[in-house]
Amino acid sequence: MVSVIGASLTEFGRRKDGSSFRDWAADAFESALSMSGLERSDIDLLACSSESDFFTFQLNPASVIAGDLGLTGAASMRVEGGGASGQLAVHSAVNAIRSGQAKRAAVVGFDPSASQLSAAAVKELYCLSFDAWTDGMTGTSSTVLYALSFQFFMETRGLDERHLAQVTIQNRDNALSNAKAHLGRRHSAQEIYASPIIASPYRRLHCSPLSDGAAAIILSERNSAPNQRRNAPRIVGIGASSDKPRLGARNAPGEFRSKTAAMKIACASAGLTPADIGLAEIYDAYAGAQLQAIEALGFTDDIICDLERDAFRPGGRLPVNLSGGLMGQGAPAGAIGVGQTANCALFLEGLHYSELQPASPPKYALADTHGGVCTTSAVTILGVGL
Amino acid sequence: MIKRELPLEYRLAPGWLTPWIESVVRGETLARSCRACGRISFVPERVCECGCAEGIWKSLPGTATVIRRTFGADGSFGLVRFDYADTCTVVELDGFELGNRRGKLVPPGGHLPKLILQPEFGAASA
Ligand SMILES: [Zn+2]
Repeated sequence: MVSVIGASLTEFGRRKDGSSFRDWAADAFESALSMSGLERSDIDLLACSSESDFFTFQLNPASVIAGDLGLTGAASMRVEGGGASGQLAVHSAVNAIRSGQAKRAAVVGFDPSASQLSAAAVKELYCLSFDAWTDGMTGTSSTVLYALSFQFFMETRGLDERHLAQVTIQNRDNALSNAKAHLGRRHSAQEIYASPIIASPYRRLHCSPLSDGAAAIILSERNSAPNQRRNAPRIVGIGASSDKPRLGARNAPGEFRSKTAAMKIACASAGLTPADIGLAEIYDAYAGAQLQAIEALGFTDDIICDLERDAFRPGGRLPVNLSGGLMGQGAPAGAIGVGQTANCALFLEGLHYSELQPASPPKYALADTHGGVCTTSAVTILGVGL
Repeated sequence: MIKRELPLEYRLAPGWLTPWIESVVRGETLARSCRACGRISFVPERVCECGCAEGIWKSLPGTATVIRRTFGADGSFGLVRFDYADTCTVVELDGFELGNRRGKLVPPGGHLPKLILQPEFGAASA
């Protein structure tokens, strides 16, 4: 059994203080290491995640991060899978511990997605994260592809701009309770309806921001954890899957099928069903993507009915993105999946700094991440009190 | 702050996609037909859903039906199905008005293999 004995996120946002991704990675790691009760010499594996060398201006970033963290001698790697990079790095470390190749691992995700390049340059780079030779050559942006996918989902479920506004308001409102979030804001529906259309039906306020930041977790085989951390949350299931990278090649462009497949694998390995999950950090690159994900993960049979019942609000049946999610907490690409897992561990243990920390935490939480328009999916289920 | 620029000029070899890339630049619609089941993919897929990795190139008329469209600051794009193709693809919509549902692939101009659809001349509006 693999335990999450340390977890930390830096502030997410646009950093203008002269600090670099190497500082943020070190800050997150040192804080997670301190929580774990381990020494740096106890770490035998470092799994880093960063979406692109274009962002960091550093090839083989794991090598310099290992040096900065004082982990020279530990096995080190960078794991990449687009937006899913962080969650895939978590999976790599979990698998290394499960196989016996490592006993205690650090997973550190980071990206300077906001401050080092212009927004236009980052947008152009993100065009290469779909099929660069087809959709990328045509000039389709991330927002265009997500918008086309959501249109199918929106029509078949009877959703409209009110539901997009509800998600947007909720995630940014949740972020107001998270002191480290990028975009804690209180939006009115009218403000959202009046924001510029980027790719219909998506308006600017329906989109997640470009953020800087880092997150880290310390994983340990349970029996190798310090005594005081033996009851830390555990990773009880992981699952990953993929879909065709081009939306047009899919038989159902509005469905996040790789997410459904990843969730089935994770639930089977944990012996759980989606109904057992008590809170979820979901990959809300866009407001509609959150709704597509909620359904694909098996959390609803009737998305409109559940939205009307406030099922996904704090205190609801399944609180979603208590951190604020990508839309509110922020989206430093390589840090997202690690940060979601860290958030889940902190919420389960009752240690999250958000004012939305549930007084009675649930037993299980889900971290859900994907790259592309849900092309590369990776989910992680955590449990506590087991 | 350290200011660095990284000018990169890639020379991308399109490999097995070469016939398709060259045809798109000419404004032609070259699809891939699966040798085993006959499924026609545009954009071409190297391996068909049936599992067969052998395909033959097949010219399509270049006309397409718009299934979804999106517009805004990022431009005007659509998910379309080219006539006789079994898959859809995303294209830029050039000069489309709300009623236009049919279009034809045009040469993109320049050297990039962009998929650009213009309204089909004389096409009926929906
Ligand atoms: Zn076939």
